Amino acid sequence: MDNILTYASSLLVAGFASLFDYLAAHVLLCLIPAFIIAGFMSAMIPKETITHYLGPRSSKWISYPAAALGGFVLAVCSCTILPLFAGIWKRGAGLGPAITFLFVGPAINILAITYTGAAIGFDIALWRLILSIFFGIAIGLMMAWVFRKEELETATKTANNSPFEQKSKLKPAATALFLLLFAMLIAGTLQIGLFTNDLVTFELPIHFSAGVMNILGEFSLSWQGLLMIIMLILIGLSAWKGFNQIQDGLSNWTYITIALIFFTILLASLHAAADATTLALNGRFIAELILLIVILIVAAKNFSKEELGEWIWETWKFVKQIFPLLIVGVFAAGIIREIIPPNWVQTIAGQNTIFANLVGVIFGVFMYFPTLVEVPIAKMFLDLGMARGPLLAYLLADPELSLQSILVLNGVMGRKKTALYVSLVAVFSTLAGYLFGIITSLIG
Amino acid sequence: MMILKILGSGCANCKRLEELTKKVVESHKLDAQIIKVTQHDQIMQYPILATPALVMNEEVLVSGRIPTLSEIENWLIKV
Repeated sequence: MDNILTYASSLLVAGFASLFDYLAAHVLLCLIPAFIIAGFMSAMIPKETITHYLGPRSSKWISYPAAALGGFVLAVCSCTILPLFAGIWKRGAGLGPAITFLFVGPAINILAITYTGAAIGFDIALWRLILSIFFGIAIGLMMAWVFRKEELETATKTANNSPFEQKSKLKPAATALFLLLFAMLIAGTLQIGLFTNDLVTFELPIHFSAGVMNILGEFSLSWQGLLMIIMLILIGLSAWKGFNQIQDGLSNWTYITIALIFFTILLASLHAAADATTLALNGRFIAELILLIVILIVAAKNFSKEELGEWIWETWKFVKQIFPLLIVGVFAAGIIREIIPPNWVQTIAGQNTIFANLVGVIFGVFMYFPTLVEVPIAKMFLDLGMARGPLLAYLLADPELSLQSILVLNGVMGRKKTALYVSLVAVFSTLAGYLFGIITSLIG
Repeated sequence: MMILKILGSGCANCKRLEELTKKVVESHKLDAQIIKVTQHDQIMQYPILATPALVMNEEVLVSGRIPTLSEIENWLIKV
């Protein structure tokens, strides 16, 4: 009985340790801006800026790149993907660009790429981005070619006053704000001397007792990490009052929440020593401080309260939708890592073989993880000894193919097209992982 | 009587749009029936690219975003 209890408690500790690891400063510096940018794109970038280029009269040279870009800009939320997919297919640029859009959307949205970068490594994130765009276009072109006869018949049906005719331009201030937000994301993630070197070091007046430090150590949690978690809880509580009812206008709670987020980003960019005695200002802190102030000024000066409210609502919607699942997923990944013997993973996927890559893809199909949860799962496999090639194969296939999405697609575009789409994604992802594995082994 | 349709597969924005529409209908005591359309093939009958969408007597008022309360009031009270 005692043994079971110790085992259970060690599993819980592992779960919490992995959770705290993910809420650490460097991950938050990336995730918080990524959520804000995702909300911004949803609220401030009119869909017509992209859909205009996906109409029935657009040439291939425009519609395919636009579809890939559209996946990046429009498709953070999966509930907009299917209607847009069907719209582009039936009334717009046709099957090919629609497939490109469908493929690229879930794989390269800003949250997925930055989170992959912070948690696993920017090499994997970059390749995930490049390969997704390349495959999206390639698979789209192939599908369009295979079904070219059927598509010719549907193409003639397109009506005149299509919703693709509408045009819309991004406000110059919105472009500026978008670039500033992006700069904030980059300033938070780049690991270069300019940002990481300590400028001024402070002795802290407070000292934690050895007991407290021990408890923190058991969960491999720094005191800065603890502070981050407290700040996140505070943000969550005040956002519940300030963001959830944003349609009724900005309240005091809204401003308090914004201030809390402001300070959390600043706190996360400080460099804190693990022994809890010193705190150092670095270039990152100064960069974030300047960017945050400029962002607040630009936002307040150029946008109405309604526009800002919509931005906050979209951001909060993503947080509510994704964050709880992410926490559960990270916690579970920490526990599973303790249960699965590493040699299983190493035997099956420790080497970069075609078989190992295929296993990565098949695992992605049968395991359905909500948006972003694929990242901690992938990190878990990496820690257990999975090679980087199969890991990339898994990351490419998982958001695209799950039993659930295959069923939905089946309903929308029929068995033949779905079967070809699924096989193309599986083959391409396997090959991509394999080639990536070969390239990394040559370099490394 | 006017027929209002909320198009959307049930995501947060569609629920928000439904709430707002109900609010307008109730506060102005409009003679309206609100129908939720959640099936993809039915949604795609309308010339829209993104949900949520609000349809009044088969005419699309807005799609792809949540309109403000006053916008909805303008549309519904005009008739």
